[in-house]
Amino acid sequence: MADNQQMMCGSCGSSGLCGGKGLVTLKEGAWTNNPLAIQVLGICSALAVTNRLANSLVMGAALIFVCVGSNLIVSLLRKYTPHRIRMVAEVAIIATFVILFDQFLKAFYVEMSDQLGPYVGLIITNCIVMGRAEAFALQNPPMLSIVDGLANGLGYAVALAIIGFFRELLGTGEILGHEVLKEAWYTPNQLMILAPGAFFALGMVIAAFNAVKGPEAEEKK
Amino acid sequence: MKWLLKIVDAVRPTFEEGGKLHVFNPVFGALEHFLFAPGTRTLGAPHIRDPIDLKRFMSMAIISVVPCVFAALYFFGLRIIPMIIVSYACGLAVEAAFAIVRKEGINEGFFVTGILFPMILPPGIPLWMVGVGVAFGVLIGKELFGGTGRNIFNPALVGRCFLALAYPAKMSASWIEAGGGLTGRLLEYATAPAATDAVTVATPLSEAKGGQMCSIWHLLFGNVSGSAGETSAILIILGGVFLLFTRVANWRTVAGILLSFVILTGALIQGGAVSYSIDGLVSPIIWHVFAGGLLFGAFFMATDPVTSPTSNIGKWIYGIIIGSTTVLIRNFTGYVEGVTFAILLGNIVAPILDEAVIAIRIRRLRSEG
Repeated sequence: MADNQQMMCGSCGSSGLCGGKGLVTLKEGAWTNNPLAIQVLGICSALAVTNRLANSLVMGAALIFVCVGSNLIVSLLRKYTPHRIRMVAEVAIIATFVILFDQFLKAFYVEMSDQLGPYVGLIITNCIVMGRAEAFALQNPPMLSIVDGLANGLGYAVALAIIGFFRELLGTGEILGHEVLKEAWYTPNQLMILAPGAFFALGMVIAAFNAVKGPEAEEKK
Repeated sequence: MKWLLKIVDAVRPTFEEGGKLHVFNPVFGALEHFLFAPGTRTLGAPHIRDPIDLKRFMSMAIISVVPCVFAALYFFGLRIIPMIIVSYACGLAVEAAFAIVRKEGINEGFFVTGILFPMILPPGIPLWMVGVGVAFGVLIGKELFGGTGRNIFNPALVGRCFLALAYPAKMSASWIEAGGGLTGRLLEYATAPAATDAVTVATPLSEAKGGQMCSIWHLLFGNVSGSAGETSAILIILGGVFLLFTRVANWRTVAGILLSFVILTGALIQGGAVSYSIDGLVSPIIWHVFAGGLLFGAFFMATDPVTSPTSNIGKWIYGIIIGSTTVLIRNFTGYVEGVTFAILLGNIVAPILDEAVIAIRIRRLRSEG
C-alpha cells in the first residue's frame, strides 16, 4: 500500500491539469486518467468482486459515495489539517464513510453484504480514494473536490461494471442473475469467474481503453 | 509446377501496394511462400546461405509429429482429422487478423502449434472447444506478446491450460477408449460417451491414482486412453529422436526433464513418500515416464526454441524444473497430470534463467580480470 501512495504523490505532481474547471476535472477522472484502466489503481477489489455484475455495481456505488464524501471533508478541512498528520486525518475521514456504507449494506442488503465480504471494508485502503484525497482534495476547494471524487468514482464504477458484465455473461451465461445465453448451446466458461478470468478481463478493458484513447496516455508521462 | 507459378504471378499485382486487395497481402504472402521460395534477395552483407531457415526448421518439427498423428488416427478414429482442420482454421484466422492489422507477413510458427494443439487434447473433445482453445492460445499466448519469436508461453499449452480451467467437466468427459486390432478405429468416427451414460473413460494416470496400473507394454505401444497424440511412447520417442538428430530440439532440455523426473520419482519411492501398485524401484519409474504427457511434453512442447532458455546451463535448469514439478503435481495434488502446468511454469522462469546465467558469467569474467 505504501508504495501505491507514493506513486500517487508522484503522479499528481506531474498532472497539473487538475487545477482547471469542473468539466476538465470530470473528464480527466472518468476518462483520460481513469483510475482503473489508465492509472491501474484499485486492482485488488476490481479482481475480487467482479465475478458478478451486481457486485460490481454495488462496489462502484460504494466507491463513488466514499470518494465524494471523503474528498469533500478533506477539502473542507484542508486549511486546518497540520501537514504532518494529514495521512492519519485522511484515513480517519475515509474510514468514516466506508463504515457508513458498510453499515447501510448490512442493514438493508444483507445478502449483498455477505457476498462482498471484507471488500467493502477494504475500500479504506483503496489507493484511489486515498490518492484523490492526497492528490486533489488537499489542494482544491470543496466543490471542485466533489466533482473530482465523483469523476474518479464514476471512472472506477464504469470500468468495474464492464469487467463484471463480461465475467458474469461468459462465466455463467447470466446477466444480473437472468439467463441470457441459453444452457442448451452455451457452455459456461468457468475460467471467467475464477481469479485468472479477472486478470484477463481487466487486461482486455485496459487494452480497450488505451485503444480508444490512443497512445498519447503514455506520452504524457 | 510452372502453371501454378504463372497463376501466382498473375494474381500478385492485385495484392501489392495500390492493388484492390492489398489489405490481404499477408494472407497472399503466406500462401505464396508456402508454395514457392520467395524471390527477394538480401540487400547487404552478410549473405549466409544455409538450407535450414525458420520455415524448414518448422517443417522438421511437423515431420517429427507425423507418427503421433497416425497413432492418434489409429487409436481414436477419424475424428482427429476435423480436430486438426478446426485447429488450423481458427488459429490461422487469429494469426491472419493480426498480420493484417500489423501489416506483417504471416509467420510459419503457427503451423507447428496448429498440429501440436489437437495432439494434446482429449480425442473426444467438442470441435468448438478446439477452436476456442487454439484461438485463445494464439491470441493471449502469442500475438499479445508480439507474435512468433516473442511469446513467453507455448501457445498450444496456453490453449490447453485455458480449456482445462474453463471447461473442466467437458475435458474430463472427453476421453475415448483406444481402439485395437488391425484397423483400430481407423474406419470409425468415435465420439466420447454421452454424459448421460455416466461412464467416463479413465486415463492410465487417473486409474493409477486409484491404485490400478495398466501394463507397461500398453503404454509403450499406445493402446490406452489419453490425449490424442500422447499415448504411444514408442512413436513419440521415434519422432523425438528425429528432432534431436536434426538439432531442432535441444537434448539438454529433454535430458534435464527426464533425468530429474526419474531421479525424483526414484527418491520418493525409496524414501517411502509414495508407493505404487507395481512392485520394485525401476518399473514404476519407467511406467510413469511412459504414462500421460511426459514424453510428448519433454520432446515436443518443452523444447520449443522460443519459450525455452537459450543458454545451455539454463536449458538444464529449465528441464529440471519441469521434470520435478511434474513429479510433485502428479503425486501430491488433486491433478493426475501436471505436464502442462509444469512446462508453463518452466516457460515463466526461462527468461530469468538466461538473465542469471549471463549475469554470473559476466561477473566471473570480470573477476578474472
